[in-house]
Amino acid sequence: MSDSNEVQELPILPLKNSVLFPHLLMPLAVGRAASLAAAEAALATEGKEIVIVAQREPSKDEPQFEDLYTIATKAVIKKMARSSESQMELIVLGVERVVVLKLEQTEPYLKARVRPYPLPDERTPEVEALHRAVTELAGRAIQLAQPNIPAEVSHLLASADEPLRLVYLLASMMSLELTREQALLEAESRGDALRLMHAYLTNEVQVLELRNKIASEAQTEMSKQQREYLLRQQLRAIQQELGEKDPQQAEVELLRERIEKLELPDEVFREAQRELGRLERLPPGAPDYQVIRTYLDYVVELPWSVFTEDQLEVGRARRILDEDHFDLKEVKERILEHLGVLKLNPEAKAPILCFFGPPGVGKTSLGQSIARALGRKFERMSLGGLHDEAELRGHRRTYIGALPGRIMQAIRRAGSKNPVLMLDEVDKLGRDFRGDPAAALLEILDPEQNKSFRDNYLDLPFDLSKVFFITTANALDTVPRPLLDRMEMLRLAGYSEEEKIEIAKRYLIPRQLKQAGLNDEQCRLPDGTLKRIISRYTREAGLRQLERNIGRLARKVALRHAEGNTEPVAVAPDDLIEMLGPPMFAQEELRKEQPPGVATGLAWTETGGEVLYIEATRLPGGKGLTITGQIGEVMQESAKAAQSYLWSHAKQMGIAPDAFKDDGIHIHVPAGAIPKDGPSAGVTMATALASLYMGAAARSDTAMTGEITLTGLVLPIGGLKEKVLAARRAGIRCVILPRENEKDLRDLPEQVRKEMEFLPVDRIEDVLAAVLPQVAEKLEALK
Amino acid sequence: MKDKPRQLPAFLFPAFQTQEITHWRPSLDIYRMRNGWLLKFDLAGVPMEDVNVEVQGGRITVSGVRRDYVAEEADACYAMEIAYNRFERTVELPCEFANPAVTLEGRDGILIIRVTEG
Repeated sequence: MSDSNEVQELPILPLKNSVLFPHLLMPLAVGRAASLAAAEAALATEGKEIVIVAQREPSKDEPQFEDLYTIATKAVIKKMARSSESQMELIVLGVERVVVLKLEQTEPYLKARVRPYPLPDERTPEVEALHRAVTELAGRAIQLAQPNIPAEVSHLLASADEPLRLVYLLASMMSLELTREQALLEAESRGDALRLMHAYLTNEVQVLELRNKIASEAQTEMSKQQREYLLRQQLRAIQQELGEKDPQQAEVELLRERIEKLELPDEVFREAQRELGRLERLPPGAPDYQVIRTYLDYVVELPWSVFTEDQLEVGRARRILDEDHFDLKEVKERILEHLGVLKLNPEAKAPILCFFGPPGVGKTSLGQSIARALGRKFERMSLGGLHDEAELRGHRRTYIGALPGRIMQAIRRAGSKNPVLMLDEVDKLGRDFRGDPAAALLEILDPEQNKSFRDNYLDLPFDLSKVFFITTANALDTVPRPLLDRMEMLRLAGYSEEEKIEIAKRYLIPRQLKQAGLNDEQCRLPDGTLKRIISRYTREAGLRQLERNIGRLARKVALRHAEGNTEPVAVAPDDLIEMLGPPMFAQEELRKEQPPGVATGLAWTETGGEVLYIEATRLPGGKGLTITGQIGEVMQESAKAAQSYLWSHAKQMGIAPDAFKDDGIHIHVPAGAIPKDGPSAGVTMATALASLYMGAAARSDTAMTGEITLTGLVLPIGGLKEKVLAARRAGIRCVILPRENEKDLRDLPEQVRKEMEFLPVDRIEDVLAAVLPQVAEKLEALK
Repeated sequence: MKDKPRQLPAFLFPAFQTQEITHWRPSLDIYRMRNGWLLKFDLAGVPMEDVNVEVQGGRITVSGVRRDYVAEEADACYAMEIAYNRFERTVELPCEFANPAVTLEGRDGILIIRVTEG
């Protein structure tokens, strides 16, 4: 071993991009003339020692003293071979760290005086700790970099008991930048060297972790795609082998064939071709593929030019309509009219009808019957609760899961361009921020516009003008005016008792008996029984409850048969309590004795008509007018109008005017739980008040209806038929009605007209005179 | 720019494995004799006087110097594979020498060392 402080003069071999560490072997390729000369000079000595110095600036080919670092490594050339005259391969072994003191010569090679520059020998606990930390970190780095060979290398690292050798060894494995390697070589102490290495390793571990993460992600991605690709290739190969077509191609071909076979309008044909082209170019996995496919399916399935032949024979149509429904003359007449028009002018626009009336009167089934009579397809949809315009017109195709609107879907289901399309419950359309479906209906139901109806989804014009639209509604006040304006209103009023009995005998009983498995021999329902069911077990304008009750009876009889009692049954009215339970409704029995202050009124409800008894009483010392019984605003106002009329005419009628000032008045309209509104009780209230003030009881067999004005005029009201039928049910013989409503009496069944007495009036005085016979002469003064 | 040369730890190569980093390690054969041991060293170009043998218990250390005689007289070195300068080799034998007798014999570049219990 050389004396550690001996100054030596040695040739210098500058390295462009590397630092040689002591204890490490490094192969070098030497090509620069000065370097060759230096190596030869070293080899010409016995020691074969040379100083390996890193260049500060790797780009310099002929570095000067100032271009070199001053801390360098003394090395021994262990082997030398030449690959050519000017190229030398060396293996050098780093021996120790030296400091370059002074450059002695630069030609033909660099030569300098150097002195060994050993690190101070320190064995502090800090160095020990650093040593262990670096060893551990290095183990992790190796594990990450090369998971396959950790055993020996880790062992190797662990065996390096000298911290400097560990640092140098790690540096040689890490391929650090030149400046970092040089910093390691120049470290002032072992502690510094270890600290530097720790920092480098930490960075290295992070980089390696990231690298591994990226690599593994890239690999999974790659293998998934490759797998799919491979499977697709195999599938294709199998299909070719089997002589099958690519499924996508086959699908496109099929669609093309269908499109060409259909007689599509020009615009539709062009659009379909364009979409088909797009479909063909898309890979089947593309998200748009299914969207376009579904669209084309819809286009192909719509009946662009499919019509059903209309059955124009009027006699046949009449027969069918009569078969299915009793009465309803007005509606049937309208349908037959249209048939007649179609016969003369096949291009006639289809009418847009609106059936309105109480539930259960057969609006929906009438639509079906019309379709049957005309020989058209029938489709119906309910608009009840529909509150989104897009439900009718469809969503644009840009939305995920978009579909055509209900109208186009119904047309598709019908499969013809001229079906009977029934839009049920048009009065129960909702409306919210998403839009107003009623507004969309305006276009659909306008014969001028619906010739080219554009559904948002299809975005193609479809001719709806041949569609026979029928809408139904229970009440018209919730239907927007413009929509009403487009439709032809046909009223289906409630049925009278006679009509109900007739309908029950013709349709309901046979149907329910059949359902229960009985024939008309086994179970008979006499008229009296039906009457009892209608009056005591149902309260409706339509027939649903009646039919349900008949059904119950039929089942009870069927049960009896099943139990072995096979004798034919005729259900008597008195059997009903046993079979259907106690009556659901107490009959509005005529109030035989009416005290002064009670008058009989008539009301219209959605379920038919009702008899109302309006009661008025004086509240001595009370104040103002109190009205109770779930009264709406309009009805309250007509009560005030009635009171004001009497007050203003008190003198003529012989009532003390103070009676109005001193006492309060309470008007009550039972039944208290049922909401009531409308002006048609005005006349009745006036009568009740007049009867109260004049102390004369009103006739109990007379009911009245009509709006009252302050001057005593009686204005017309609606729903007369239902009201009259209700009056008759209650046993009232005479109905007082506004003169303008006289014409509505024609709607009443013949028998009702014959049985009852009607008194058309113009003014309230006429009403009072008729109802309050006791004070008739007093009332004469009014006229 | 040339690729960065790869450095390797010297102790991975047995030929360079010595206690002292600068020393080289001659190769050797070992024979067991009836009365001791025979060690054959590949030490061509090393005069017997320059070889130093030390025996301590079962451990025998052979060291010395191989000089490159022609280095000075040649113009330039064209290739170099022989290791020069100080060498050292230590072997542990499975026996203890209390009072060893060592004889050296140089034969055609091979140094034969006989160690017997004296």
